[in-house]
Formats: sequence, structure tokens, C-alpha cells
Amino acid sequence: MINEKEFIARLLNPETQNAAFQILLSEYQKPLYSHIRNIVLNHDDADDVLQNTFVKVFQYLKNFKGESKLFSWMYRIATNEALTFLSQKAKLNGLTSEALQNKTIDNLKADTYFDGDEIQIKLHKAIATLPEKQQLVFKMKYFEELKYEEISEILGTSVGALKASYHHAVKKIELYVTSN
Amino acid sequence: MKVFKLENQPKIETGFKAPDHYFDGFSVKVLQQINEKEVKIIPIYKRKEVIAMIAAAVVLIALMIPVVNNYNKSKELDEATLETYLSYQSTINQYDLIRELDTKDIEAINKNVVLEQETLEDVLSSNPNIENLISE
Repeated sequence: MINEKEFIARLLNPETQNAAFQILLSEYQKPLYSHIRNIVLNHDDADDVLQNTFVKVFQYLKNFKGESKLFSWMYRIATNEALTFLSQKAKLNGLTSEALQNKTIDNLKADTYFDGDEIQIKLHKAIATLPEKQQLVFKMKYFEELKYEEISEILGTSVGALKASYHHAVKKIELYVTSN
Repeated sequence: MKVFKLENQPKIETGFKAPDHYFDGFSVKVLQQINEKEVKIIPIYKRKEVIAMIAAAVVLIALMIPVVNNYNKSKELDEATLETYLSYQSTINQYDLIRELDTKDIEAINKNVVLEQETLEDVLSSNPNIENLISE
């Protein structure tokens, strides 16, 4: 297994770029799909955002300074792409981001690519009541099981603040599920 | 009411799934998109319309240079033009001009001009109309 520096060098070298990018795609397509899908909720939207994410990763590779890990840099691009996509979609439909999210959750039962039952729908509804940052933290910690240090690098928030954010999110979700 | 506690529950999954074989063809789809974008990107300076527009703008600016220069010149009145106008074109006569003079102007005019005898004679001899002017 080569180290990250060497791998980035291969990604930047025109001769080795395509092969290295293939490796990057196969390694990250699944975790990034899950990350994006957890934000946009719908498969078709996740597919669009995931493609855009990799295209942007490829385009911006030459500007990647290696100040952060490739992993967190890609997650950051994916998060930004997903959030931008959602706000544009909401604007296009004349809805607020919250209203769009609730509408998508209501349609989950009819979604071919959703395999959940009542408790999953309730959990998604509970998450939708949280502020955007708390939603992200909860999803990354609970569903994606990322470490606080990794989330900290992706979101640029301290580990302490993330722990507090996650704690608040859990309390609000428990309260919502209990009373609904 | 039963209190819901996340930590007491078995982990709840998202319920999201991707279509079968979705990831098999994904990398091909992305690479295709990257290649399309690379082909589509034409630097602005290489576009024919942009070059034509720049050329048109340069020609327009070049054509406007004499117009702008003349426009500025026409606004400046030199003393000779002004004098000619006042003497021959305007209805203002010398009495109107005198009426417009204030104390400061009169003081400025009222300076002793020391003239040598010879200079005076030269002026008088070289200007045959001076008598008419003096008599006015």
C-alpha cells in the first residue's frame, strides 16, 4: 500500500493520473454515496451529486495542497455539493430547505431505493427537525460511524464542539421519537 | 409513554440502498463526464466570437480618436477668435464693455505706461489709422 503523498503524486502526474483516479473512485464511491445520500435522501439526487463531486475532485486535484487528508478533502467537497444541490432544488421548487426535506421524507415509502420501515421514517423525520450542522454531525457519527477527529477535519469544527452537537442532536431525536 | 433511548436500541440503519450494479458502471460514467468537460472547455481567448468582438472594439476606439480630439478642441476659444467676434460679429460696442468693468479692472488698466519719444513716434508712423482711434 503506497502512502498518501505518493498516491497524490500519481493523481497529479498525467501518465499515472487515470489509473490512480480509478483507484480513488473504487475506494471512495460507496462511502461518499452513503454520505451524500444521507444528506439529499433520494437516489437520483445522490447519483447527480456523487458524479459532480468526483468531477470536481478531478478538476481541483491540481490545487490540492495536501494540507488536509485526501479523505477529508473529498468529504468536504461532497458535503458542499450536496448542501448546494439541496438549496438550489428548494429554490427551484419555491420551497424552504426544511419543507423540501420533509416532502422528500414523506415520499420515502414510495421510493424504490428505500428499504426502511416505520422506525426509520420516524428517525429521518426527527433528524429533519435539527439545525443543519447538527443533522450533519448526527448522520456522520451515527449512520456513517466516522470518528470525531475525522468529522472535525471535514467540517472544520473542534472535537469538543462536535461532541456537544451530537449530544444535543441525540437528546432532541429521542424527545421527538418518544412524543410522536 | 415508553421513553425512546437511542443507545438502548439496536442500531437503526438509514434504509437507503443503491440500485443493483449501480457502482459497477459508476466510474465509467464519471470518467466519461470528465472527458466531455475537458473537450468542452475552450479558453476564452481562443473563441472566434471573442476575437471578433475585441477586433471590432479596437476599430471603434480607433475611429473615435479624431472625433474625441476635435470635440475637446472645439470647446477651447483662443483670444484672437474672441477678439474678432467682439469686434465684428457681436452687437456689443465699446460702451457696453466699459459698463461691465468694475473698480479692479479699471485699476488694472490705469497703469502708467512709460513710453520713449522714439517708440511713440514709431507707433504713430506705422499705424496710419491711429488718428481715427484717438479722435473716437
